[in-house]
Formats: sequence, structure tokens, C-alpha cells
Amino acid sequence: MPDLLTWASDPARRRPLLRLLVAAQVVYVLGVAGAGYATTALGQHIVLATTPVDPRDLLRGDFVRLRYTISEAPLSQWKDAAPPRRRQGVFVLLAVGPDSLSSTVGIYPKAPAAAPGQAVLRAWVTDVYRHSLTLRFNLERYYVPEASGLRREKAGRLHPLRVHVSIAPWGQARITRVEDEVGKK
Amino acid sequence: MSRKFLDTESPGWVADGLISEAQRQRLLARYPSDAPTLGLLPLLGSVLVGLSALSVVAANWQALPTTLRLALLLGSLLGAYGAGAHFLRRGNADLGHGLIGLGLILFGASIILVSQLYQLVGYDVSGLLAWVVAGTALSYLYGSRLLVLLTVLIGAAVQTYCVQVLGSFSYATAALVAVGLGYYWWRRPAVVSSTVLAVGLLWQAGLLVAVLHAKITWFFVPAMAIYAAGDWQANRPGARALQGPPLVAAYLFMFGLATFGETDTYANVLRPPLLPYLGALGAVFALSVAGKRVRGRMNTLLDWLLLLPGFYLPGGLPLAVATLVVLYAHAGSVLARAHRNQDSDQLTLGAVLFVAATAVAYFKLTWAFLDKSLFFLLGGVLLLGLSWYLRRRNAQALAAAPPAPPTEAAAATSGDEPIHNL
Repeated sequence: MPDLLTWASDPARRRPLLRLLVAAQVVYVLGVAGAGYATTALGQHIVLATTPVDPRDLLRGDFVRLRYTISEAPLSQWKDAAPPRRRQGVFVLLAVGPDSLSSTVGIYPKAPAAAPGQAVLRAWVTDVYRHSLTLRFNLERYYVPEASGLRREKAGRLHPLRVHVSIAPWGQARITRVEDEVGKK
Repeated sequence: MSRKFLDTESPGWVADGLISEAQRQRLLARYPSDAPTLGLLPLLGSVLVGLSALSVVAANWQALPTTLRLALLLGSLLGAYGAGAHFLRRGNADLGHGLIGLGLILFGASIILVSQLYQLVGYDVSGLLAWVVAGTALSYLYGSRLLVLLTVLIGAAVQTYCVQVLGSFSYATAALVAVGLGYYWWRRPAVVSSTVLAVGLLWQAGLLVAVLHAKITWFFVPAMAIYAAGDWQANRPGARALQGPPLVAAYLFMFGLATFGETDTYANVLRPPLLPYLGALGAVFALSVAGKRVRGRMNTLLDWLLLLPGFYLPGGLPLAVATLVVLYAHAGSVLARAHRNQDSDQLTLGAVLFVAATAVAYFKLTWAFLDKSLFFLLGGVLLLGLSWYLRRRNAQALAAAPPAPPTEAAAATSGDEPIHNL
């Protein structure tokens, strides 16, 4: 009986199989792009505040590094008996405040149920200190579009920014928009 | 034998009367000199053109509209695969496989760049897992060594990303590489890809141990499972190629234990719970022995000496002495086996292992007692004497060998044949 390798590398079968494989790869890449649109279209929108961002980042590359105010949380917000570990994947429960900015309600090791007006964002623990812990959301890099106002700003001024994030029902998140604290884009 | 060698040496053979001038001409005609490597120039030229195109695109990447970026990525992906299939049909296998490999790399690059394009956050490795799947499928389709190598590298890279950035171990990636490419190795145990596969799997095993915060000695359970798989492989060179990396890892560990394990601080980090560890290692050992018995390779059983869990001994002198005894016993077993098989490479390896064990022994046991100059003098004399003795033994062993290099060469070629046919 011929083995799987002989079957797969039979010249007669190779061409259709390659076509199938390449088509699957193209569809997959398009699917990733589709996930991007779907996250914006179907997702829950939240607004996060950042601490000042160094616009000189743009001189070095195409992105700015964002530091969120919710990146640091007191240990009292950790909702589990076992202490958090570095690099652990966690879920941050966020609630919208009066200024439409979201702030942390609690940090959970398992996905919590979100009440109306609340959202769940996934994160990783980067460091645990005596009274606080720091988080990484993988939203820390914003690739700034060429036409964005951020690019036209004078270098040297440190901005606090408002970052609009979409969280899809399946947990995927993406930055949809970044604007200046005062609200002008 | 290279053509150049034939060119320079054959006049001497005619002068010594080994062959006639006519025979020399026939020999030269039989091995024509390689076609001039002009084929390389257009290849280099196209690489340069490609690089210039790449830098133009990279410089303006952020300025390009989204759809154009997507189209560029998919276009180059399709172009690479199409060109690869075209050159393969025309019989240019190296270039064809190279271009297919380029297509595979572009697939991964597309996934990453498109996620970045839409500012998508990666929460798990499923996005990149497709890359490993594509690599495995292409390896099966083309049976090319290059593609196997690429897939092992991609698997290791994806796993590293997963552990470093996402903080978890992707069992799916590990299983895909182990089972998918393991099956490939089982059927086509080409030497180079066997070693690469073993190294890639060891890398992933190391990452797993790191993620689980387990004692590092647990690493040797999966490592020796890879070794045991080699024992069941019918093709002997392929089996040994897969077993090389786990053995090197085990040797380095034992060597490190002999050198640094004297202080109890290290020893404590190495001790997993006794019964589960020995149980797991024992199960792998049983599997390995069964394989050796079936394939008639019981003479390699002493490889397992390196896995003796000496780190359970109390640190200090008992541990140092025990590891040294193990190192000596292992070097001796390699020497004895090489002697029996008349294998000069293995003899050299055994001699090196022996010298290394002696050096450690000398360093460990005499440093405290001797004046330093005396240490260097005695050490040098000891190594010189040992190397002289081993070289003499080596020469005797080879001289005593029956003068039958042709059959040996024939055996070697026939053993390699399934590999060359790939």
C-alpha cells in the first residue's frame, strides 16, 4: 500500500493539490483582513486614555508606543485567590465612566460576564509588584496612518491620547481611531 | 572525487604506471568538468532587482492604500508559487523548491502584515498555526529537504512567539511538527532533515519546560522520547541523525553537572519528584530498549548512561565523583563500540570524550591541592600522553581492519541511497 507521502507527491495529483493549497492560503489571508472589518462592524466600542506619548517615535518608525492608564492597576483589583503570575493571560473588566472613558473594574484569570455598559479586554501580566501589577494589551503599538493628524503635530509636545478600541464578540480587539485628548482629530 | 583532483593527480598515476594515458583520457571524459557557473549571474541579478522592488515597497508601505497593500501581498504570494511550479515542471528542482519556499515565507509575512494593517491583536497562535499547516502540506507535496527545513524553522519560530509574547505553549504547533514531520521522517529519513527536525523538537521541548516552570531535567523525557523514536527507525543513518541532538543535549548536561554540580545550589534546582520523573524516564527507556532489540542495535544501549539521574545524589563530592564515573564509562562505551565496528570517526569522538572527561576530572580533583604551575604542567603531560596512547590504539585498530574499503564504500552508498533519491 503506498504511503501518504507517495500519494501526495504523485505528479498527477501534485498540481491540483498545489492549487488547492495556494487558494486556501489566499482565502486565509483575506479572512484575516475580513476579521479586521468584522471586528469594527460587529464589535463593542470603548475609549481608553493614554498617558503622554512621545511623538518622536514617529521619527524612528511608523508607529507610536501607547501607554494606557489602565495598564497599571492596584493589586486589590485582582479577583482570584491565587496571586497573578508574570506573562499570565488575564481578562480586564472595563466600565464606561462619565467622561466616556473606560476604566478597570476588575482583573480576572477567567473571562467574567460583562453587564450592560461593561466590556472585557484581554491582557497579559507584565510585572507584579507589592501593591500593583502592570498589564500589556498588545494594543501598545499604533501604526499611524499617513494622513493622520498625529503626523502633522509638532515634535516635542507630549500628547495624552484617546484611543478608540473595538472588541469583537469573539474577543478580538483592534484600535479603530486615535485622537487628541481635547477631542479634535 | 572532484574533477580538479582528477586533473591534478591523474598525470602522476600515468607516470607511476597505474593507468595508461588512454585510460586517463577516458576517466577525464567520464567526469566532465562542471558547466560554467554562468547560471548564477542571472539569479543574482534577479535577486538584486527583487530587493530593489522590495525596498521601494517597504519605504512607501504606510502610504499605500489598504487594498493595494493586500493586493501586493497576495500577488507576490501567487507569483512565487506560480513561478515555483513552472520551474519544477521544466525540471529545475532547486530553483522551483526555492520559489515554493519563498511563497511559504510570503504566506507567513502576509498573515503578520495584514494583522498589522488592521491593527489586530493576536491573542492566540491560531493565526500563525495556519503557516505551520501550510509548510507541512507543502513538504508532503514536494518531498523537498528545503521545505522540511523551513517548516521546522517556522514551527520553532511560531512556538517561540507564542511563548514569548502570548505566554502560553501551543500544543497544536508542537503536535503538528512532531506528528506531521515525524511521519515524514519515518518514511524518508534523510540525514540532514532528521537532525534539523530533532533540534527543532528539542527547542520546543525546552520552551515547554520553561513555560511550565518545571525542573529543567524534565526536558530529558521528551528529548529521550525523540531518541527512542530513532531506535524504531529501520534506516540506520536516519536514526542516528535524529538521535544525535538529544544525545548531545544529555552529554552537555552531564558535563555541566560534573563541572558545576558540586555546589548544592545547582543540584537543588534539578530535582523533580523522584517517582514521577523516574517513572516517565523509565517508560521512555523501555520503549527505546524495545526498539533497539527489534532493530538489533543493543550495542548502543550504553548511550543511556548519560541519562542516569545523578543529580539526586547529595551535592558535593559524591555528585562530582558519580558524574565523572558516568562520563568515563560513556566515553569508554563509545570507544569500545568504535573499536568493535572499526569506525574511525567514532574512535575520534570517543577519544575526544575521554580527553574531556579527563580534563574535568583533573580540574575538579586537583585544583585545590596543587600549585597552579604544576597543575598546568601535569595537565598538559596527561593530555599528551593520553592522546598519544589513543592515537596508537586508533592506528592499530585501523591497520588490523580487513583491507576491504570498496565493500565498505559500497555499503555506505547503498545505505545512503534512499536519501539521495529524494
